[in-house]
Amino acid sequence: MSSVAAQCQRCNSRLEAEDLRCPVCALPTPRPPQAAERERARVIRCDNCGAAIAYSVEAQAPKCAFCASQMHIETQEDPIDQADRFIPFEVGTDQAQEALREFLGKGGFFRPQDLASRAALDSLRAMWWPGWEFDAQVAVTWTADTDAGAQRSNWAPHSGETQLDLHHILVSASRGLTLAETQKLSAHYDTSKAKPQPEGPAGAQVELFDVTRSGARRQILDAVEKTAREHITKADLPGHRHRNLRVAVALSGLGTSHCALPAYVLAYRYGKKLYRVVVHGQDASCVLGEKPISWGKVAVTALAALALLVIVLLALQGS
Amino acid sequence: MNLSCQSCGAQLVVADTLRTTVCPYCAAPSVVQRPPTADRPPPAFALGFTQTPQRARELARENLLRRSFWAPSSVRNASVEELRGIYVPAWLYSALAESDFSASIGENYTETETYTTTENGKTVTKTRQVTKTEWRSLSGHHAEYIPDVLVTASSGLPNAELEHIEPFDLRALRRYDDALVAGWISEEPSLPQQQCQEQARAEVTALLRKRLAAFMPGDSHRNLQYSTRFHQESLAMCLLPVWVMAMRHDPKSPPLRFLVNGQTGKVYGRVPVSWVKVLLAVLLGLLVLGGGYLLATNLGGR
Repeated sequence: MSSVAAQCQRCNSRLEAEDLRCPVCALPTPRPPQAAERERARVIRCDNCGAAIAYSVEAQAPKCAFCASQMHIETQEDPIDQADRFIPFEVGTDQAQEALREFLGKGGFFRPQDLASRAALDSLRAMWWPGWEFDAQVAVTWTADTDAGAQRSNWAPHSGETQLDLHHILVSASRGLTLAETQKLSAHYDTSKAKPQPEGPAGAQVELFDVTRSGARRQILDAVEKTAREHITKADLPGHRHRNLRVAVALSGLGTSHCALPAYVLAYRYGKKLYRVVVHGQDASCVLGEKPISWGKVAVTALAALALLVIVLLALQGS
Repeated sequence: MNLSCQSCGAQLVVADTLRTTVCPYCAAPSVVQRPPTADRPPPAFALGFTQTPQRARELARENLLRRSFWAPSSVRNASVEELRGIYVPAWLYSALAESDFSASIGENYTETETYTTTENGKTVTKTRQVTKTEWRSLSGHHAEYIPDVLVTASSGLPNAELEHIEPFDLRALRRYDDALVAGWISEEPSLPQQQCQEQARAEVTALLRKRLAAFMPGDSHRNLQYSTRFHQESLAMCLLPVWVMAMRHDPKSPPLRFLVNGQTGKVYGRVPVSWVKVLLAVLLGLLVLGGGYLLATNLGGR
């Protein structure tokens, strides 16, 4: 895991120790000064055997021709960073099962009546899913066509700029949970309770990040742009309809942390089928999942509606 | 200049424009360190060579043969007379570009139009849908970081030529170290920094035309005008790997210069045009046309 090295001098974004340039604005990071005071010719020597070293194309590194040892040159590292902030579980396994039973009991008209009594818990897994949390200030300039001020055409062009302060925005890096699931879960996390070590029920698993640092930064920048677009659509655009929304973002002060977010993934069996339910690890009232539909009830309702329709038609014809 | 080889003590002769030399007596590769100046700062980054000299040769030859149709036939036998791997100094420029723009935005709409036409000898009135464009003026503001602009700092490799072998893959950027250029030819920057910065701004301005064209709403746009201010500019010296080749095809004419991107293998070189070949082709074309015309008139006349 890398330590936070410094801030970018230009956009105040957080830099990792291995960065050669700022990932947001591309400003080169300062290097330790090593200027020569006077002119001199230097022969680079092998640390191993003392022979003169030259850069080798085959090895793509400086290589000693005698002992074949290579020299390491600082380059842009692209490691896979892992979570350093674990949000603790606040919902126990019993509470999660209780939440499932409540979820099944709440039913809905088209759900089978015996769902709560016949559904059998198949598996229950406590896990932390990976996600990035970022803060950033974004200067957004945009253009779009909206219906405000339209004349002969349905559209009129507009432009504008806005300053956004984004705090604690969560971006999922999970492969196990779907995007829709993580988006709904994200709204209910309290990341201020994060701990440096995992804390939760025994056997809880940590889903690992599997995106490299550069890939992660791309996803975060995409998320920033998406958030900016949503904000502009909601708050800035005049009129009711819009098209061709184009945004340009200039980010500053981007800080990212790698979080592990708690959730229970449960599977229950009803009849012969398995259904999946996700229970929030901090807020047991947040339950997402699938429920079976009672096709018998649907059929009866449809038939009843049809019968009613026929009766009404007949009555109309009779009169 | 009074430099001696660290290996054998012999006097080294180093051209003022070079960072590296090889001792003529003991063949030890040296890297020259000079006190930095504004126009000649120490390099911050370098990209290493990844294309071997054999590969560079092959790539240049393939490129030459593919484009040799209009060239004198002698270029097919061109041989590489000299091949050098050079670390070319370039400025890596980045800035926050803020532009004020104005443009006419075209918004399309459809109108129903009536028109008259003759059908079976009768005049009838019909309607049709026509797409028309309404022009609305729009002005506004655009700001974004422009990250990776490379401009040459060497008078030996003009910027236009560098653009032909760009892009370089900047993900492989390495912090400059003397060991990276040891044993290779490495040039010192020879163009003033001020001139390079203006070149970089010109490149960004040209790039922004495309970015702004894509930024415009509407169905079409025209009269796009913009002025750009550059904030928080940064210039870093970066050494780029370039294979420079001289290919001799005719003892009487000057050799052809070919450049190969030492990282990606992209080739650039000018291939001469044989005017004799072009003239022959034009004559042949005329002959065929004339023959065809004569044939056609003869056949038609019969």
